[in-house]
Amino acid sequence: MPNDVEQLYQQRLARYTAAMRNEKPDQIPIRPFVAEFIARYAGFTCQDVAHDYEKAFEATRKCAAEFDWDATVPNQVWVWTGLTEAISLKYYAVPGIHLPADKAFQYVEPPEEDAWMGPDDYDALIEDPTGYLYNVWLPRVADDVVAPGEPSTMRNNLSFVKGGMAMMQYFGGLAQQGQRMRTETGTVAAIAGMLKVPFDIIADKLRGYKGLCMDLFRQPDKVIAACEALAPHLLEVASMTADPLRRVPVGLWMHRGCMPFLSPEQFERFYWPTLKWILCELHNRGIQTLFYAEGEWNPNLKYIAELPDRSIVYHVDRGDIEEVHCAVGHKFCISGGIPNDLLAFGTPDDVRSVCKKVIDGVARDGGYIMDASAIMQDDTKPENLRAMTDFPREYGQY
Amino acid sequence: MNEPPQTKRPPGTTIPWEEKLKEMPPIVGDRELVERVWKQTDSLGYLYIYFCLLGF
Repeated sequence: MPNDVEQLYQQRLARYTAAMRNEKPDQIPIRPFVAEFIARYAGFTCQDVAHDYEKAFEATRKCAAEFDWDATVPNQVWVWTGLTEAISLKYYAVPGIHLPADKAFQYVEPPEEDAWMGPDDYDALIEDPTGYLYNVWLPRVADDVVAPGEPSTMRNNLSFVKGGMAMMQYFGGLAQQGQRMRTETGTVAAIAGMLKVPFDIIADKLRGYKGLCMDLFRQPDKVIAACEALAPHLLEVASMTADPLRRVPVGLWMHRGCMPFLSPEQFERFYWPTLKWILCELHNRGIQTLFYAEGEWNPNLKYIAELPDRSIVYHVDRGDIEEVHCAVGHKFCISGGIPNDLLAFGTPDDVRSVCKKVIDGVARDGGYIMDASAIMQDDTKPENLRAMTDFPREYGQY
Repeated sequence: MNEPPQTKRPPGTTIPWEEKLKEMPPIVGDRELVERVWKQTDSLGYLYIYFCLLGF
C-alpha cells in the first residue's frame, strides 16, 4: 500500500474504474455501501447520523480510515432528516422523533386511499410533471406548503427558504466530505448524482405501490404515459448531478421492478421501456449507471442484456450471481452478492467462505467489485465486514 | 420508448425564459447575459422539486 495518501487514492481509483469498465485491475476492488453500520461502528445512534449529517460524515471517515476500502459513499445515510423536517415533509419517520433513537429512519407509504397522488391525477402529471409536483404534490406531502390559490403563510415561505438553503448546505458539505475522504484516507467517493426509475417514483412517492398496481389494470395506458412524461426529467436530473469527470457512476436503486412485485410481462410493458431509454441516453452522454438491482432480478436478465456494453455496473442482491455472470458478465461489471443475513448472523469464516465462492465463480477475469448484497445497516457485525474487506485483499489479487 | 413526449415545461425548467421575457421591459443591455443567468437560477428551482421527489 502506498505511503502517500494521494498515491493511494489514485491507485484505488484506477482499480475501481478498471473494474467498472469490466476490465481486470491489479486486484478486486472493495466498495461497500454502508449506512447505519457506520453509526454502530463509530458509537453514534441512528438519530445522530440521520439528523446531524456531520456525525454521519465523521462516522464514514472513521470507517474509511479503519477499513481498507477502495471506495464508499460519502454518506449512505442519505436522507438528512434535519432537512426533511425543515421542509415539513410528512413521509419520513425520523429516529428520535417518530422512532426510537436507535432505529433507522423509515419512509412511510400512506394507505392507498390517502396516496399523495390520486387515481384521477394522471392527466395533470402527464401534461406538466414539474408543475404538478410544485402545485399539487408538494402541498400534499409537506405540512407547511400551501397549494396555489390558498392564502400564503410565513411557514409556507419558510419551507422553501429553509429547504433550499439547507439543500445547498448539505450538498456543499457532501462535496467537502468527498474531498476529505480523498485527502485523509485516500478513499474514492463511489457514486455521484441522483436517479430513479419512472415506475418506481410513481410507486414510491406518488400513487403508492398498491394504488399503482390497481392502475396497471384499470388505467394501464395512463401509467405508461406518466412513465414516459417523467423519463426526460429524471434523465435531466441525473445528467445535471452526475460526476462531471464521468469517472464514477450515477447510483440507481430500484425498488419495484423485481419479482414478485412485477411479472416479467408487466416489467416488459411498464417498467423497462423508460428505464432502458434513460440508461441508453446516459450512456450516450458518457455516464455510467450503478444498476442496483434490489431483490430478485434474474427473471429480467434477458432485458438487461439489451443494454450497451459497460453502460451499467450490475449490482446483485438476491439473484444467483453466477447466473448473472453467465448472462451479462461479458457486457457489464458485476458487484455485490455477499448476503446481508450472513454479514449479520454468520461468522467471519462463513463470510470468507462465501467471498471465495463468489470470487471463484464470477471474478476470475476481472469485472467484479466486492460488496454486500444490499446496503448494510446496523445489524452487520464489524468482524464480518472486516472479513469481507480483508479476504479479497488476500485472495483477490490478479 | 423512442422519443419522450413534450411536456409543458421542458426538462431543466420551471419558468421558461420565453415566458419570463414577455414579462420584462425591453432589455437594453446584454440580453444573452440576462437569459443565461435566468436559466441558471431557474434550474435551481427545477432541481429543488426533483431533489424532494427523488432524494428526500
